[in-house]
Amino acid sequence: MRTTSADLHTLTGAYAVNALSDIERTAFEAHLPRCESCAVEVAELTSTASRLGLAVEFAPPPQLRARVLAAAAETRQVPPRTARVPNPSRKRWAGGLLAAACLVAAVFVTVQYTESSQDRQLAQLASEYGRFSDFLSTPDAKLVNGTAPNGATGTAVVSASRDEALFLAKGLPDPGDDRAYQIWLIDSSGVPHSGGLLDSRSAPVVVNGLSGAQTVALTVEPRGGSAKPTTDPVMAMPLA
Amino acid sequence: MPERERALQSLQSTPRDVGPTADDLLALVARGDEAAFERLYDVVSGSVFGLIRRVVRDQAQSEEVFQEVMLEVWRTATRFDPERGSATTWILTLTHRRAVDRVRSAQAASHREDRAARLDPARPFDEVSEQVNGKLEQRQVRRCLSFLTELQRESVLLAYYQGYSYPEVASLLGIPLGTVKTRMRDGLIRLRDCMGVTG
Repeated sequence: MRTTSADLHTLTGAYAVNALSDIERTAFEAHLPRCESCAVEVAELTSTASRLGLAVEFAPPPQLRARVLAAAAETRQVPPRTARVPNPSRKRWAGGLLAAACLVAAVFVTVQYTESSQDRQLAQLASEYGRFSDFLSTPDAKLVNGTAPNGATGTAVVSASRDEALFLAKGLPDPGDDRAYQIWLIDSSGVPHSGGLLDSRSAPVVVNGLSGAQTVALTVEPRGGSAKPTTDPVMAMPLA
Repeated sequence: MPERERALQSLQSTPRDVGPTADDLLALVARGDEAAFERLYDVVSGSVFGLIRRVVRDQAQSEEVFQEVMLEVWRTATRFDPERGSATTWILTLTHRRAVDRVRSAQAASHREDRAARLDPARPFDEVSEQVNGKLEQRQVRRCLSFLTELQRESVLLAYYQGYSYPEVASLLGIPLGTVKTRMRDGLIRLRDCMGVTG
């Protein structure tokens, strides 16, 4: 189990060399438009990293040339972006939740849903992620990561000033029938307080009322949750 | 413009005559110019394939990723914004991301529970360094890398050329996660200053 916490700003280097997890990358990209100094540094460091790419030239097999050119000839190019065109019905939703849409794509890439539940899920995500993009613009937003021994990753965006955290997990194994993942906020005396259940293994959960919590942890509990943890945490991340 | 000069330098490193820069060509490609795409292919394909092969290693997979990347360059050239960096940077950034995506998804599919074993301490950073050193026209990269501390250099190169995530780099180097993130940033900043990159 490894943990860390860091300012989003310090991730510019890891981002430039693609060393972030999908979730962190997405969270960081959502943060970029609101952080001009980050954006400048990212552009510079990305350009720097690409020099390392230029240093390892190797000719592709010659037959690929004709194949690529033929494929291009049959592939329509994406339309260029246009200056903001007012389009009240959809644009507002799309614009206001631009960052949210990216996050949805990243977080829900592994979730399978039936067509019938799609609308309900989208509505839910829209409200969830509107909140998340707010989080990322909070000046004291911190990104906290944890990795479980099985490779599952947890990411929390924590805002002390809002007294809230948003928790995302990826790659969590199925807890089994009649069991669920429960979030715990552990205070400075080591006492765990329930932060709620994960509705799905990859859906985001907003945890309200950090009230001085030092650590956020995740355990497997009987379906419906427990008053106190009954198993060892599969993941724990320091908030302080 | 330093950016323009660098694009020219990268053109000169190919056996072709100096002609339009990758930036010029990509602007034409964005307008659907297939002939410009053909020329762009000749200018960048060596770097694109070289980087993919370095990260992915497997030849067949590298060829797949290469074709995907080149087609994505064609398809999304319309979204390239010269205000935000050079064409070469844009293309190699896309290339690196796709190469890393490929090795990460392959990892996830095979040995999710066996992450530690995949980290191969027998593949030292020297090997990476050697490859960089081998290309004479990349003297600047070699020279600038020599100004980094060992941890900075290893952190940057292991992430970039092996496609490792920063927790994997931390595990390999036996240093805390926070340290590896800082070293990556410090190392790239030092490289940036040495190379005179302005973004």
